[in-house]
Amino acid sequence: MQQEAAHTVTQVAQQAGEAVAHAAASSGHSITHMMMQLVLQLAVIIVCAKVGGYLFQRFLNMPSVLGELASGMLIGPYALGGLIDIPNIGILFVESHSFAVTPELYGIATLASIILLFLAGLETDLAAFLRYSVVGSFVGMGGLLAAFVMGDLCAVLWPGNGIDSFMDPAALFLGVISVATSVGITARILAEKRKMASPEGVTILAGAVFDDVFGIITLAIVMGMAKVSMGKGVAWGPICIIAVKAIGFFVVVTALGLIFSRKITALIKRFKSKEIIVALCFGLALLLASLAEMAGLAMIIGAYIMGLALSRTDLAHEIEHHLEGVYNILVPIFFCVMGMMVDFGAMKPVLIFGSVYSLLAVFSKVVGCGIPAWLMKFNLRGSLRIGLGMLPRGEVALIVAGIGLAGGIIDQGIFGVAIMMTVVTTMLAPPLLVKSFEGGSGLRKEMEGSSTNIESIELEFPSRDITEFLLNRFVNALQQEEFFVHHLHTDQPTFHVLKDDIDFTLIEEGNKLIINVPSVNQHVARMILLEELLSLSDLLESTKQMKSVDEMGSDLMSGLFA
Amino acid sequence: MKLKKVLSPETVWVDLKSDSKQGIIEEMVDRLFLAGKIENRDTILQVVLDREAKMSTGMENGVAIPHGKSDAVESLVAAVGLNKAGVDFNAMDGRPCTIFIMTVSPAKRAGPHIQFLAEVSRLISQPAKREQLLAARTHLDIYTILTGK
Repeated sequence: MQQEAAHTVTQVAQQAGEAVAHAAASSGHSITHMMMQLVLQLAVIIVCAKVGGYLFQRFLNMPSVLGELASGMLIGPYALGGLIDIPNIGILFVESHSFAVTPELYGIATLASIILLFLAGLETDLAAFLRYSVVGSFVGMGGLLAAFVMGDLCAVLWPGNGIDSFMDPAALFLGVISVATSVGITARILAEKRKMASPEGVTILAGAVFDDVFGIITLAIVMGMAKVSMGKGVAWGPICIIAVKAIGFFVVVTALGLIFSRKITALIKRFKSKEIIVALCFGLALLLASLAEMAGLAMIIGAYIMGLALSRTDLAHEIEHHLEGVYNILVPIFFCVMGMMVDFGAMKPVLIFGSVYSLLAVFSKVVGCGIPAWLMKFNLRGSLRIGLGMLPRGEVALIVAGIGLAGGIIDQGIFGVAIMMTVVTTMLAPPLLVKSFEGGSGLRKEMEGSSTNIESIELEFPSRDITEFLLNRFVNALQQEEFFVHHLHTDQPTFHVLKDDIDFTLIEEGNKLIINVPSVNQHVARMILLEELLSLSDLLESTKQMKSVDEMGSDLMSGLFA
Repeated sequence: MKLKKVLSPETVWVDLKSDSKQGIIEEMVDRLFLAGKIENRDTILQVVLDREAKMSTGMENGVAIPHGKSDAVESLVAAVGLNKAGVDFNAMDGRPCTIFIMTVSPAKRAGPHIQFLAEVSRLISQPAKREQLLAARTHLDIYTILTGK
């Protein structure tokens, strides 16, 4: 896997290099020299990003993304990278055409952002999206509107930054940057605190799916609007056309994707080889990404749609699995490069603005998601939990900011503000969320009767191997019963199980298997688990019929030392 | 999950007569056979007895859930029967069982099989429902109590 990934990275680097061959000619260096410089930069970036991510996670107990960003800030052209002078090569990281990184390095970061969004689309649970549409849409939409409007207005109302209209492209970008929730961090905390199956947990996860999809549509519209309003004044006609075009592109392409995805994958599957199949699907994602850009939207939108379309096919898991290696190497490069683009000098004048914008980004999500939650069935405590759960921003905010900077829509200062907001929300969310979950129910009194009391079922086994074995059997059995089982990318192996109104989590904690399930649904969880436990005893019984292990062992080794 | 999708008025019985665990299981399998819900009586009986041998399905408060998996059925087959006198089913609480829920599900085909069993169990875990069931006089009464129709 790692070899595959490394191979792909090398290929990408070579291709990026070829694409800028003419630049090499004009700069006076040979292509080989440029590529050597790029490879050296990549080496520094990968090592620093990975080590930074590890240190943040291990010692500061913070998401590794923050470590990767911080590494980027440290080694970027505006910090250490601009000071390191290597003989025969020159400054390690230096501005290129008044942009923080070279086009070839930015190309690799762009590719990483496409992979990131392609996988985000693949992981989207469309069934859950439809099932929790009421609660999810209100919470997701509330947060989206509040974040967008406050982000945009903050830019407009702030004196002296030259932005004076709500429709100003920079204002629109500041609005859209603060929209997309990155729910991965919240999911990890909910799983650790065993709150995934709580009413708040389910609402947050449902809201986040909506937030993702609506966030991408909003980005599509804003990208289009920004391109139209680059000129003077607000031309409502073209903006409406753009909005219709953006939503149309999203709806039509997603619908076509969903309708034809099974046919397309059936065709692709004729190749038999998994490597070819996965590569072709990724190729399609790149194709749709470029088509989206051609249609005046952003490449990540196309990649996300392709992921969404493939998420309902049986290939989704294969693609995720095969791209994992590439993801693990390329995505830290992306976050590191985003960190490198932070110009501390340019940020000085906008530091106060950035603080206010970051605080508003916190406030807007808490209020925007909290109010719909409060209107439905939660009390203030529950609404606050939901708002805080939707707080962290991450990769999408960074990608959008990167697009804005590369497109000249926002400047270095505003880009820094975006990074600041991402860091602040990502750092604030975990402690606040943990604190908010102290205390009683988050549901209103009159709703508590109907609320879900969570039962925690714990089973301890003699070894971790047996726990893992039984967990896998249990997951298979649940899938056989047509439950949707999602593996969450958390430190402990954690699964989120969903079907209609049944919702619970499975956690493997050392030798223990823990099931957190609402009391009303405990029958199904307990009964399915019992059947698997009984089948385990069958299996143990059948091992007794095996030849003795000693005998098998000596059969295996006999003759080796003859 | 809608119980009436799986249960039918022909597979609910108010008058199970056997007075032993083996007898109740055989009687229910026979009645399913007579109702045309299963074809291979002996195979089905064997899978239910095999499952019973691993661990008794006699639960608490007079409820038992004998069940098994076999590819001799195309889709989930379910039945509910009462023996108001009570039968020793090696229940967890040691008390005789009066309400019996039987399911046979295809071994290789996915579907909400155990989930059905769980849904019925959840329903009759309410004491009021159990009382209602035990007061049932006709087969149709049971069907009405369980499906709400």
